Amino acid sequence: MTAILEAVNLTKIYASERAVNEVSFSLIEGTSTALIGPNGSGKTTTLSMLAGLLQPTEGMISFNGEKHADVRMHIGFLPQYPQFFSWLTALEFTEMAARLSGMDSRSAKVEAQKTLEFVGLGEALRKKTGTFSGGMKQRLGLAQAIVHKPKLLLLDEPVSALDPVGRREIMNLLKSLQQNMTILYSTHILNDAEEMTNQLLFLRKGQLVEQGSLGDVKAKYDSPRYRVEFSSAQDALTFAARAPWKVRYEGAFAFIDLNNELPEMKDVLGYLATSGLSVRKAERQTASLEEIFMKVAGQQ
Amino acid sequence: MKDLFVLFQKEWRENTRNFKILWIPLVFIFFGVSEPLTSYYLPQILEAVGNLPEGAVFSLPDFTPAQVIMATMGQYQFIGMLVLVLGFAGTISNERKNGTGTLLYVRPISYFSYFLSKWKVIGIIALVSAWLGLITTWYYTELLFGNVAAADFFAFAGTYSVWILFVVTIVVAISAWLPTGGAAAVSLLLVLGLQIIDSLLGAYWTISPWKLAIYATQWLTGSPDTTDFWWSIAVTLLAIVALMIFGVWMSKRNASKTKV
Repeated sequence: MTAILEAVNLTKIYASERAVNEVSFSLIEGTSTALIGPNGSGKTTTLSMLAGLLQPTEGMISFNGEKHADVRMHIGFLPQYPQFFSWLTALEFTEMAARLSGMDSRSAKVEAQKTLEFVGLGEALRKKTGTFSGGMKQRLGLAQAIVHKPKLLLLDEPVSALDPVGRREIMNLLKSLQQNMTILYSTHILNDAEEMTNQLLFLRKGQLVEQGSLGDVKAKYDSPRYRVEFSSAQDALTFAARAPWKVRYEGAFAFIDLNNELPEMKDVLGYLATSGLSVRKAERQTASLEEIFMKVAGQQ
Repeated sequence: MKDLFVLFQKEWRENTRNFKILWIPLVFIFFGVSEPLTSYYLPQILEAVGNLPEGAVFSLPDFTPAQVIMATMGQYQFIGMLVLVLGFAGTISNERKNGTGTLLYVRPISYFSYFLSKWKVIGIIALVSAWLGLITTWYYTELLFGNVAAADFFAFAGTYSVWILFVVTIVVAISAWLPTGGAAAVSLLLVLGLQIIDSLLGAYWTISPWKLAIYATQWLTGSPDTTDFWWSIAVTLLAIVALMIFGVWMSKRNASKTKV
């Protein structure tokens, strides 16, 4: 449980606007952490500071306990829209990346080829990157980020721009990388976060509003309820009007929010059985990840 | 310094694959050929296309070999400099603007190597272009107008090379500082604009990088004033070093402006 990276009061001010405001967190070695938040919440700015591209206005970052280390030695960084020199081939680019991160020319060549095959670009080694599709660029971006075997992998929206197939493949690649690297990646898609990570950092308007394990955050913002589906909206309306509980309805659906004096499912079913309403389905629901996202993003 | 070699290789590949390594020397060689040829054939050209009235006689001054080489240099001072500035004004700023720089800047490169890799490759292209062009012009001048002593020519071309390096340093350093459009404008101002100012008001001073081209040509007809010449060389070399320091510093400072 050693922290590989620690950020304390990280702040970035652009022309008096606080893009990132006093954000503190630490990344435990070997974990995967999702940096979540709506667009414009400061995810990219935070990652850029961690990558050493941006100087924080205030606060500090320490890597393995070192305060002013050149973190660039130990990280791999994949920007949201990686741009490559169009006149280099995938192999040349990855090799250059490896050598700039300190590998000698022989191992750079070997590792570049291996890594490109790992990300699925084995067929395109000698193609110019200028001809690459979006999905191929994302793979190449991942390859250049991991070719030098960094300790920490920073990924900015690694799958947001991909189609479902590409997204699945990249997610699988990332999962297989989890064993060897500490990963921090930003996303606004909670399903991705749930699939891959155990830790969440939630940014809103530059502030860290929630952090912890995914389970904890879910429990905190969960709102269990019963959902009853009727065959017509009319029945849902009737149910909402007559039932002894507080009921919301939406089309043919009725919802009973569970609170302290929550009704039991059998009470609800018993009522429904005698009501003469046409019921299709009744179930207990928990808050979806999207709802939790909306709640955290919208809270004051 | 390993990163210097890797970055140099990258720069070299870029300029090979976008053919700058080919067309920029060709521009210089073109003027190296065309100046002596048009000077030599001017009477015939005028006769053929000039529409002169019947029996009109007018005499053209005879060009000396030195004048022909100076004329070629005159072309380089305008069109050649234009090519160098516009061809390379984006060398650093474009990498920031299109985001290709990002994947370099997140690696443990030194900005000194980054700057120097560009300076070296562009310097090589510019110097080789200028020398190829000047040697071509020298050859045709020998052929058509008369002898220019090798020692004189090399003194001339050597001096002019210092000026070329000065221009290259300006272009790369300003590109590290400003976005491409501004970089081109400021570089043009520094290279062409100050040249005009120096030639208009330059009577008041004798030591200046912008006088190097004139001092260079003086080697062809005699020799420049030794004190002025060496001081100008010294000032120019100093300016080159200062501009390089400025460029390295700006590359580093502006790295955060790269598109992420």
